[in-house]
Amino acid sequence: MLHSRRWITPYLLLLPGLLWLAVFFLVPMYYLGYTSLESGDLFTGYTFSWAWDNYRDAFTLYRSHFIRSLEYAGLATILAFLISYPLAYWIAFRGGRWKNLFLLLIIAPFFVTYLIRTLAWKTILADDGFVLSILRDLHLVSSDGRLLATTTAVVAGITYNFLPFMALPIYVSLEQIDTRLIEAAEDLYASRPRAFLKVTFPLSLPGVFAGTLLTFIPAAGDFINAQLLGTPKQQMIGNVIERRFKEVADYPQAAALSFVLMAAILILILVYARSVGTERVTTGTA
Amino acid sequence: MTDPRFNDPFTRRQLLRRAAVGGAALSLPSLLAACGSGGGISAQSNAGGASTEVKQQLADKLTISNWPLYIDIDEKTKKRPTVDDFTKATGVSVKYIEDVNDNEEWFGKFQAQLSQGQAIGRDLTVLTDWMAARMVRLGYVQKKDKSAIPNEKNLVSTLQHPTWDENRDYSLPWQSGMTGIAYNSKETGPVTSVKQLFTDPKLKGKVTCLTEMPDTMGLIMQSNGDDPTKVGPAAFDKAIGTLKDAVDSGQIRRFTGNDYGDDLSSGNVAAAMAWSGDVVQLQLDNPALRFVLPDDGGMIWTDNMLIPTGGDVFTASTWMNFVYDPKVAAQIEDYVNYICPVDGARDVLLKDDPGVAKNTLIFPTDEMLSNVKAFDTEAADNPDYKEKFQTVTGA
Amino acid sequence: MTTAVETVVASRNRPGALTRAWAFVRRHTLTFFAMLAFAYLLVPIAVVVAFSFNDPIGRFNFTWQGFTLKNWAHPFAYPDLGGAVRLSIEIAFFSSIVATIIGTLMALALVRYQFRGQGATNLLIFLPMATPEIVMGSSLLTLFLNFGNPFKLGFITILIAHIMFNISFVVVTVRARLAGYDRHLEEAAMDLFANPWVTFFRVTLPLIAPGILAGFLLAFALSVDDFVITYLVSGADVTFPLFVWGAARVAIPPQINVIGSAIFFIAVAFMLANVLWQRRQPKGAV
Repeated sequence: MLHSRRWITPYLLLLPGLLWLAVFFLVPMYYLGYTSLESGDLFTGYTFSWAWDNYRDAFTLYRSHFIRSLEYAGLATILAFLISYPLAYWIAFRGGRWKNLFLLLIIAPFFVTYLIRTLAWKTILADDGFVLSILRDLHLVSSDGRLLATTTAVVAGITYNFLPFMALPIYVSLEQIDTRLIEAAEDLYASRPRAFLKVTFPLSLPGVFAGTLLTFIPAAGDFINAQLLGTPKQQMIGNVIERRFKEVADYPQAAALSFVLMAAILILILVYARSVGTERVTTGTA
Repeated sequence: MTDPRFNDPFTRRQLLRRAAVGGAALSLPSLLAACGSGGGISAQSNAGGASTEVKQQLADKLTISNWPLYIDIDEKTKKRPTVDDFTKATGVSVKYIEDVNDNEEWFGKFQAQLSQGQAIGRDLTVLTDWMAARMVRLGYVQKKDKSAIPNEKNLVSTLQHPTWDENRDYSLPWQSGMTGIAYNSKETGPVTSVKQLFTDPKLKGKVTCLTEMPDTMGLIMQSNGDDPTKVGPAAFDKAIGTLKDAVDSGQIRRFTGNDYGDDLSSGNVAAAMAWSGDVVQLQLDNPALRFVLPDDGGMIWTDNMLIPTGGDVFTASTWMNFVYDPKVAAQIEDYVNYICPVDGARDVLLKDDPGVAKNTLIFPTDEMLSNVKAFDTEAADNPDYKEKFQTVTGA
Repeated sequence: MTTAVETVVASRNRPGALTRAWAFVRRHTLTFFAMLAFAYLLVPIAVVVAFSFNDPIGRFNFTWQGFTLKNWAHPFAYPDLGGAVRLSIEIAFFSSIVATIIGTLMALALVRYQFRGQGATNLLIFLPMATPEIVMGSSLLTLFLNFGNPFKLGFITILIAHIMFNISFVVVTVRARLAGYDRHLEEAAMDLFANPWVTFFRVTLPLIAPGILAGFLLAFALSVDDFVITYLVSGADVTFPLFVWGAARVAIPPQINVIGSAIFFIAVAFMLANVLWQRRQPKGAV
């Protein structure tokens, strides 16, 4: 089928999306870029002045926040993966008729707003609560220790928040694996674990790749978990941006920080994609 | 054709201004021109605020922006009695929007329009004093019509002459609050000073401070013997040092908005910098909680009614007058339970709801009021100070 | 082989109790783990539901005071709460549908075709996910204000913003499904004289449906929970998260827990009904 109009099909398919993103994302990004090169403050006004030192400050003053954010996001992504993969696997292969119901259960926490979810976790993990006393008995937490207002709390909060974003893509990949392939591997004397490693897992990679991106990228820019669950030592770059924007009203700095964050994330994605071998992952061809 | 975005009556001036902005924005060159004026984020100092000739005529509609749950609600009928009473008394229909969630966020939402002198579709808004001060300095608000507000004489004396609006030309307090120390008497003995809060080893890791710079720094400065009503760089730096030590030592668990409430209730936190209005509510479920003003002095803050650019001055002023009637103020206060700025409301409540009237967190004694100060609003907006505070709090 | 010999052989080969137990554990480890993961996801929800029956004297819902049904009897006691909930659901629904359609089309284009600008398009998909919400929200606001009338701040602008940030999530999710998808099925269909449209609707779409559903669910979850971007572009309209965040300054009424729990239960009920209804369908029905 080599119709001459075939070349246009991808562009037609892309058109609504590209238009939408162009108008409602790229144009605002242009404004943002413009703002990032301004200088001044609320009372003297902001003027465009090719203020590259906004970017310089972003690198020098807030480097530790950037690193911390990428660390937390990375940790949370790994944790989310460890929890989500078996869960998605179970739903895909053992879920039967009830698959969609289980999927719904995964995103159900989002129906209750973030504040209430977090309050529930704070109730569960309260210093004097049931869970903490057990953890102290097991010596997983020191006798005067706490779980809230720690790095653990912040990372756990991020993990919890983004779990569906890891689980759902993995599920969609796993669910379409033809079980006969696994059977075939076992017929060829592969043990269960080996069949998994050699057949199932590689076939689920597109989902793993997607889930990783959907979790890591927004997690790196998150601020709310650190705000409600963290001490000053856990504040992330998202908090910095938020405060520069809101409290300090230093819009140029906030804009510059945002671009640096986006750039950092993109570089990491590129590295990750290279190592996973994206072509295979995103197009399904070897 | 009324632009439904803006609920004001159309004045010719507004029509011309809007047409200019709308028409200009529709062409690409003007997009860049708009960027030339700062990409939509710029401040034009409109000192004094444009006050149109005040027509002494009530508009059909009044649009009010306020904080959620900051006015009385009848939970059975799901109506707001004071708002309905106002409509009955004046014939003005009120659109009451609870969209002030956060001073800065509200400001961020409307800043672009205000900086270009555009109306924002609100006749009245309620903002905390340092933000109100900023609005006045930037010229984003209009002078109220004092001739329409005879009840202004009921304003409590302590709030009559704030530094940022000496003659109350632009603002009128809606509610006030005190900032002090709240502690859980089950977890700790009385905590009566900031020094104790920051250095008592028994409180280590069980203390929180507020993300609101004026509140936290105000308390610390008084503890250091400095005056928060006139902040100088040396005094501020000293207070920053005190705060930093407490953060680094792990004494301070975290910085909170009003989410210290759940930590206090559950015992995660033994003592916190807190707001009086919150404690009134928290105490109902946790009688062990106490609120004190620190020995060296507490802070007082006020949420103020303001008339933003484009708002109908006369109608908004009429509303202000209405809510300053002691009977109406008492009705509002009975529900809201922050600090009432209207003299005479207490007397009304002594009859109707003595529990509220006698609560010193809602009607503080003169002694308490002499022990609180308001933060220097110019310092509250000083970028350098803000930057230093943010650095200590982690961001 | 006679039965007697079989029995003897079988009993000699029958594994011991310990081995049987270990086999049981191994077979059910996955289920056990999945149940743990569900517990992790849903225990906070249980706390939220529990506290919806709380009867606090004050305006905050932090301490358990006593059981009551009155919150459930009067869930919309606060004047603006009902409208906020309805707005949230409406926006989530519409924005998810539009984003899913646009995103699926984009995913199809990106996976199926090789075309110029593929890399740039991929980049454009990732960027919105990497942008901090507060700057995306405020730059969108700037755009809406500059263009004025067509973008009346309110329902329309919230919808536009939600569609915008949801597109990326849908694309990445659907792409994961498409990546592992077997094109031969389509070719087979076309060999059987199905034209491209028929092939798409009767072969492709059903097979990638789980991916599309997952994308839809993710978008819905994101939309229903969004605060920062929504706040900035909402004008005077209030969504449920906005209401909660705003009210939280002075109150956290149990009604909020009621609403969250109710939405959760209603959604589950719908899914259950769907599953049961499908069960009733005669086998083989398409």
